[in-house]
Amino acid sequence: MKKLLSILLALLMIFSLVGCSGKTEPEPTEEGEGSVLNLWTWNVEFWGFLEKYYADEVIDEYTLKKGDVTIKRTTYPSDNMAYQDALDAALLNQESAAADDKVDMFLAEADYIIKYTNSSATMDVSTIGVTDFSNTYKYTVEAASDANGVVKGVSFQCCPAALIYRRSIAKEVLGTDDPAEVQAALDTWEKFDAVAATAKEKGYYMVATPLDTYRVFSNNTTSAWVVDGKLNIDPAIQDWMDQAEKYMAEGYAPFASGIWDAEKTDQMYATGTSMCFFGPAWYFNFCMGNAQDPDKGCYGDWAICKGPQAHFWGGTWMLAATGTDNPTMVADIMNTFINDEEVCSKLVSEEAQFSNNQKVNNKFAADASYGNDFLGGQNDTAIFAELAKDIKFQNITPYDQGCNEGLQQYFREFLNGTVDKETAIKNFKDHMHEVYPSISVD
Amino acid sequence: MEKSKNLSKKRSISYAKWGYIFIIPFFVVYVIFTLYPQLLTIYNSFFEYYRDGLNIIGPNFVGLRNYKNLFTVNNAGYIPMIRYTLNTAILWVIGAVPQFVVAMLLALFFTSTRLNIKGQQFFKTVIYMPNLIMASAFAMLFFALFSQVGPINQMLIAMGAIDKAINFLGLKLTVRSLIGLMNFLMWFGNTTILLMAGIQGIDEALFESARLDGSSSTQVFFNITMPLLMPIFIYVFITSMIGGIQMFDVPQVLTNGKGTPDNSSTTLIMYLNNFLGVSKNYGMAGAVSVLLFIITAILSSIVFKSINSGDR
Repeated sequence: MKKLLSILLALLMIFSLVGCSGKTEPEPTEEGEGSVLNLWTWNVEFWGFLEKYYADEVIDEYTLKKGDVTIKRTTYPSDNMAYQDALDAALLNQESAAADDKVDMFLAEADYIIKYTNSSATMDVSTIGVTDFSNTYKYTVEAASDANGVVKGVSFQCCPAALIYRRSIAKEVLGTDDPAEVQAALDTWEKFDAVAATAKEKGYYMVATPLDTYRVFSNNTTSAWVVDGKLNIDPAIQDWMDQAEKYMAEGYAPFASGIWDAEKTDQMYATGTSMCFFGPAWYFNFCMGNAQDPDKGCYGDWAICKGPQAHFWGGTWMLAATGTDNPTMVADIMNTFINDEEVCSKLVSEEAQFSNNQKVNNKFAADASYGNDFLGGQNDTAIFAELAKDIKFQNITPYDQGCNEGLQQYFREFLNGTVDKETAIKNFKDHMHEVYPSISVD
Repeated sequence: MEKSKNLSKKRSISYAKWGYIFIIPFFVVYVIFTLYPQLLTIYNSFFEYYRDGLNIIGPNFVGLRNYKNLFTVNNAGYIPMIRYTLNTAILWVIGAVPQFVVAMLLALFFTSTRLNIKGQQFFKTVIYMPNLIMASAFAMLFFALFSQVGPINQMLIAMGAIDKAINFLGLKLTVRSLIGLMNFLMWFGNTTILLMAGIQGIDEALFESARLDGSSSTQVFFNITMPLLMPIFIYVFITSMIGGIQMFDVPQVLTNGKGTPDNSSTTLIMYLNNFLGVSKNYGMAGAVSVLLFIITAILSSIVFKSINSGDR
């Protein structure tokens, strides 16, 4: 009997050992790492940089090769939270996915990064060798950290946003296109409103859509979108709503269109009559294609200044997914885009990005000979370096994308005159409660 | 004698067996892909079960709370379920009524031996074309065409018909009309072809004898074509109605998922889709689905019964 028992126990031990070794993955070593790195994105901005400054070989639109590793892209549009939706599903399946199908690295935006940093789906990047943040901007590290200060990712860009204006229109409206003088004329919202009236007299619009100023206000709130589980509309958002209402009533904007709609982007052509746009570096080099159009655009007729309030908009963070089988390369990509001075310099000089490396940015900011042709030779890095000092990453909730998109969408119905203001806000609240059951509304 | 009896008995048994074997694949597929999810949906509708960020809340049994929520007056002062059911009905009628009228006329023209239209194949292909385009692509096309800086507005302004761009996608009337128009364009070809097949199935001798007896085209239509076409017509009507209840892609893409303006073009499935966004709210979505199932079942049986009984 004893013999039988001991044999049974021995068998049990062997099986449990076999079971264990089958389940636990080998310690990550450079040789033992996966051959496919899966990168999830919602657009191709970062992919383009990866293609130019990191990969060895371009296989096709969705595949790159670096050494022996194939880098694959999975992209979903950001609109209506389709990207988050698909990404969540993939991350929740991460454990059971085959090694080559696991998400290794994904991009996230300021509006919802907190949802991922505060979850176990992302990993502490210091454990894979990303430890030097001395040159990055502080807020980009704070944004990628969880509640305990553990850093889960890095950004390849810093996104202070500026007021982007048409030089030719500014000359007619303000009599000058010099950034310092324009800034002096537009440094408060009162002045901004007054200039809007002047612009209208001269036959111009101040903004292409009142929704363009939304981010300036929403970035200067004093409270978060959700407080104690309840939807909260901050006074700054109220101010924006008042401004938007006024701008449509007074005719300071042509249409209350969405910020990505053709109604607005058509205003960027040379034929456009809108003076001010708002956005960071990625906005004018990635989203102002119409202004850069060789036939119909107005390349070089632009300049930037701080505008009425400092703010930032968006920004793309790279986060390391828990369970990645390519930790070395994930870390290498992160380190390349924040610490490799050559790559960061190229991001600034060739891509007109505002990189996340202060040393590189300051070098360009101090370089009198450096200028951005799109902005008529203005040194945008100098302006952004100044603006980056004022960025505050605060009042963030995981629901921000839904709230920001939702409010703009529903308030537009009021601006277009379809519903009254009260109904627009009520519809917005109802929609938020449908989309996020955990938020209560009154 | 006894031997042959035995043989025939055996044979009939083995036939029956093969019959069952042949239908097994259908039932297996049906149970796995239709019945099981259906039962699961009903089950989930009694639970609080959703995602908050990456955390899963529930499933907690809440009884009929999800159903109660659907029929509670919301912030904006309406009952979501009723309002969206009405929206869906209106959007379907706007598209379906012209669709049936036009499809019936075309089917009659094409099958009429008196008119004997040439190039039928060509026309059949052309009217079926819109159905081949993906609904969402079609909606994107309309979105671009009818934007405030789009070609339709530019044309109208150039012609002097209007002096300021019309916000087609911001007005209740125009948004609903556009959705109706798109559904009409997409489906009238399909309906035409089904009705044609039905009419062609009617014995030609009946039409001829009626004509010889001197009956007019109207009389032929109402007394011969329509009654004999009834089974096909009921089929077309019910499938169109079920399609209408499930209307989603066209309004979703045209209004960017928000059923603008003022939720006047939010259909039931768009409402359901709101629950299935980032929050994956299986409880509420399940409740909407169950109600949709009930609505569809009731409407189908009413239509089926009323049209059938009127016929006999």
